[in-house]
Amino acid sequence: MIQADSLSRSYGERWAIRDVSFQAREGEILGFLGPNGAGKTTTMRILTGFLAPTSGRASVAGFDIVDNPMEAKRRLGYLPETPPLYDDFTTREYLSFVARLKRVDRRKVDDAVDRAMSMCGVEDVADRLIRNLSRGYRQRVGLAHAIVHDPQVLILDEPTSAMDPRQIVEIRKVIRGLRGSHTIILSTHILPEATALCDRVIIINEGAIVAVDTYEQLAARLRSSEKTLVRTARALGDLAARVGRVPGVLHVAPGPGRGEWVVEAALGRDVREHVARAVVEADAGLLELRPLAMSLEEVFLKLVTHEDEAAADGEREGARA
Amino acid sequence: MSGVLVIARKELKQLFTSPIAYVALAMFFLITGFLFFSLIGVYTSQVLQLQGPPPSDFDPTRIIFSPLFQDVSFVLILLVPILTMRLVSEEDRARTMELLATSPLTSTAIVVGKYVASLVLFAVLLAISAYMPLSLAVMGRLDWGLLAASYLGLLLLGGAFLAVGLFASTLNENQIVSAAIGFALLLLFWVLGFAQQASGSAVQQVLSSLSFSTHFSSLASGVVDTQDIVFFLSLAGFFVFLGVLALESRKWR
Repeated sequence: MIQADSLSRSYGERWAIRDVSFQAREGEILGFLGPNGAGKTTTMRILTGFLAPTSGRASVAGFDIVDNPMEAKRRLGYLPETPPLYDDFTTREYLSFVARLKRVDRRKVDDAVDRAMSMCGVEDVADRLIRNLSRGYRQRVGLAHAIVHDPQVLILDEPTSAMDPRQIVEIRKVIRGLRGSHTIILSTHILPEATALCDRVIIINEGAIVAVDTYEQLAARLRSSEKTLVRTARALGDLAARVGRVPGVLHVAPGPGRGEWVVEAALGRDVREHVARAVVEADAGLLELRPLAMSLEEVFLKLVTHEDEAAADGEREGARA
Repeated sequence: MSGVLVIARKELKQLFTSPIAYVALAMFFLITGFLFFSLIGVYTSQVLQLQGPPPSDFDPTRIIFSPLFQDVSFVLILLVPILTMRLVSEEDRARTMELLATSPLTSTAIVVGKYVASLVLFAVLLAISAYMPLSLAVMGRLDWGLLAASYLGLLLLGGAFLAVGLFASTLNENQIVSAAIGFALLLLFWVLGFAQQASGSAVQQVLSSLSFSTHFSSLASGVVDTQDIVFFLSLAGFFVFLGVLALESRKWR
């Protein structure tokens, strides 16, 4: 449904994303999880045709977003981080403008607007000016505008940012209701949100995809072990066995290059000193020994891991606004 | 095509629900009304000084409306940037450009739709300003040919001005800065005609043929020359095209 092939985007010298590839299957909710500034918004802007990729390709519902933007955009609903609302319109006026903009058949505009309003629970404010709406309602009108033309693909950039916990629950209910009939990509920097909503999660950090999997699998992978890479000058046959006998080492596997080994140890145990001694004693010619960066873990550390914090963030922002 | 209409309708609705259109129209009619009033005073005093039958070139249309439309054209330099400043800048500020740019319509449709809306507003303004010649037509005979040429000139001039202002609005998300850029560009095109003494004859010819004032003067004196019409139309087209380029280039920056 959504296909991204090695998308890259640079702003001048700086790369916002590099070589990002993934796909979203029909009817699934795919989560984009990553700390702020990881490249989530840039990726979404490329998928929606707002930005052109520096290199790589992306397609929505089978239509390339650069070569055939009209067909792709017709099948796409996009809620940016700041909902694109016109303050001097009423909710109904705004939504019918969007419906016409998205090429909804003229006779079906009213029905489409009513349907979107009831799905997002904004009928109460149908005839109020958008400028007078509360933050929560603005976000919901934003969601309504993204689904008014019943797109096959929905791209939601931080749909629950700056909302209070009760509103977050409501918005999530709406998004869950769209599962199955729509393919949804949503971004978040809040871990529990991704686990609550998404079928699969893409973890993105510093412009690159770190992992793609279901949340359960990712969590399992995280907790497994401490990995160390050992590089030796001579690829001795019995080295694996010797290192394997070091206390604390669980498993030794051949590494990616010649003479390289990946040593797994129990979580929280630093075995490097003993591994080094074992390698030297085997006279394998120790060239390098370094912990394998658990970038996934690092990313998780940067994520907001508690729902309360997110709500508190929202409250602080609300107070500032 | 339908995209152009959807955008144009939205723009008109926004223009007429915000105070800016009304403030601009009020400003325009206050100034032109005063100019009209004082030019009638000039005409009246000339009539009173007449001795014997009026000479053949004594024509109320020329005495009242030719200078009036010259002044109006200058008022438009101030007015048009105010009408056009929010067209794109406001979409950038409110982040609504993200909606337009991710909808199934081209950058050309967005820019042309906005341009059409501003032209409609301008046509309304010109239509209302027709009260001035019409109120005199009740009392005397006017040179309708001259008036028609002048109004054609104003429409073409306004069309070119609006395109310049619209382009200025694509450059910046601050409305005031957009208005300032638009004003500077319009003034530049206007004063190109003043460069007569400053440079050699060849340069002077090029400059003055690029100037708004040269082309408008000939239309306002009743001469409908295709050269002037083509000048204004191509200038409008060129700046609308620049506006489309400015929007399109954002994807790649």
